[in-house]
Amino acid sequence: MKWLAQFRKKSPWILHYNAGSCNGCDIEILAALSPRFDLERFGIVNTGNPKQTDIFLVTGPVTFHSRERLVELYSQIPEPKVVVAVGACTSTGGVFRGMYNVEDGIDRYIPVDVYVPGCAASPQLIIDGIVQALSILEKKNKAIEKPFRLFGGIKRIGKKISRLTMAKRIGEEK
Amino acid sequence: MKKVINIPLGSQHISLLEPVRFQFKTHNEKIVEVGADVGFVHRGIERACVTQFEWKKLPYVVARVCGLCAITHSLSFTLAVEKMLEFESTRRIDYLRMLMVELDRIHSHMLCLSHTAENAGFEAMFMEVMAAREPVMDLQEAISGNRVQFDYIAIGGVHRDISPETAKEVVATLDALKPKIERLLEEFSKNWSLSLKYRGVGMLTYEEACIYNTLGPLARAAGLRTDVRLESSDLPYEEVGFEVVLEKGGDIHARNMVRLYEILNSIEMCKNIVQNLPEGEHLLKIKGKPKGEAIVRLEAPRGELMYLVRGSGKNFLDRVRIKTPTFSGIPAMVEIFKGSEYADAPAILASFDPCMSCTAK
Repeated sequence: MKWLAQFRKKSPWILHYNAGSCNGCDIEILAALSPRFDLERFGIVNTGNPKQTDIFLVTGPVTFHSRERLVELYSQIPEPKVVVAVGACTSTGGVFRGMYNVEDGIDRYIPVDVYVPGCAASPQLIIDGIVQALSILEKKNKAIEKPFRLFGGIKRIGKKISRLTMAKRIGEEK
Repeated sequence: MKKVINIPLGSQHISLLEPVRFQFKTHNEKIVEVGADVGFVHRGIERACVTQFEWKKLPYVVARVCGLCAITHSLSFTLAVEKMLEFESTRRIDYLRMLMVELDRIHSHMLCLSHTAENAGFEAMFMEVMAAREPVMDLQEAISGNRVQFDYIAIGGVHRDISPETAKEVVATLDALKPKIERLLEEFSKNWSLSLKYRGVGMLTYEEACIYNTLGPLARAAGLRTDVRLESSDLPYEEVGFEVVLEKGGDIHARNMVRLYEILNSIEMCKNIVQNLPEGEHLLKIKGKPKGEAIVRLEAPRGELMYLVRGSGKNFLDRVRIKTPTFSGIPAMVEIFKGSEYADAPAILASFDPCMSCTAK
């Protein structure tokens, strides 16, 4: 089925999820889709459906409330898929690093292919990152990719909910 | 037959820029009950402001509460600290600060208008408004050095002075923007297919606006005369030709009209500011550490933003409280959804211009 890869490259669809960012990168993604920068010339359409998605754009350090949704969305995207981390706080935690409700970057949870720097990442950089993601998408095959962590039940230590034991690496859930 | 159907909207949805979750209960297509979960973006900034960062770094931290109204956040915090340090700013600093706040308001309102048009199904209008918005972003880049998260405000002034060439560019760009906004004004008020999605949809009456304590364009579209630029004297708004925009309808159409007229007013103000810019320093030295308590209110693009800052003369502050406009608007939002069609929900949601990263902090 190698001939399908060409169609995939000519018309990749993106899914955008905000995992706790400040909106700065999100409006820059919207600006990249608008006529001045025109991301749509690469055949890109912004879809809201993970099941039709090739490129997963994530913004924001992962907050505790949104990490379950992030892993769920990633699992629902069919292979081959590429993850682009947009912005400084998505890559490393940025200014939010060490705040009590924040994980430092999305690569604790899902494998990331392209990191886009900047606070906020400019539309030019976002386009550059997506074009790089396209060349990675071309080389990928149907091998199944899994998130690093999944969720078990809620565990309590005393009266408090333990956040550390909730998310475990795959293979050590039990 | 009366059967209640549960329809969730969010946390990930094509019509949402940021995660928020609504749980609609509907009879056929009519929404009868709404539940909202707004805490997806909670990062704990208020806590980090008093434990992790020293007070001099805080204008850059609180700017990251929200990317759309970043300048209002850092300006409110800076004004509060300057009140505690009894710092007298010059008129040039005030004018430069007002210029950036108004430019920020223009681009934020235009983003909201384009998003409302997209969610009503008018993709071409979305593209048109976004294309008209780009010159404003270029102006912000020319003045401050960055498109979105410009850390322009410093404690004691602003980081960059404006050059005469840039000032000319501001006037020329805004002059070119004005006819585009007037064309949009005509399109938004006369286009028949848009009026089907906008007129009479998402109604908020004057009484409801008072009861639910709404702020900003949401309240002004319902006829409630509330605007912090009118009430506070932290920035000299009356000098540069500020006028309150009021509409009576209370529906999505009225909110669009309020935003469009406010853009026109902001364009006039920016031109006045640039043409009558007083001479003076743009960054002054400031001494001491903040002690005492200060409250500052400013008009963000979505309504009143309030900061309470308390310090005791140390490097770390005691308390930073941020009250954001969308947080006050949530009860009204939930009320407006009741009784409207489910198909209109994305357009109504976009017309609030909700800012969830402000709300959850």
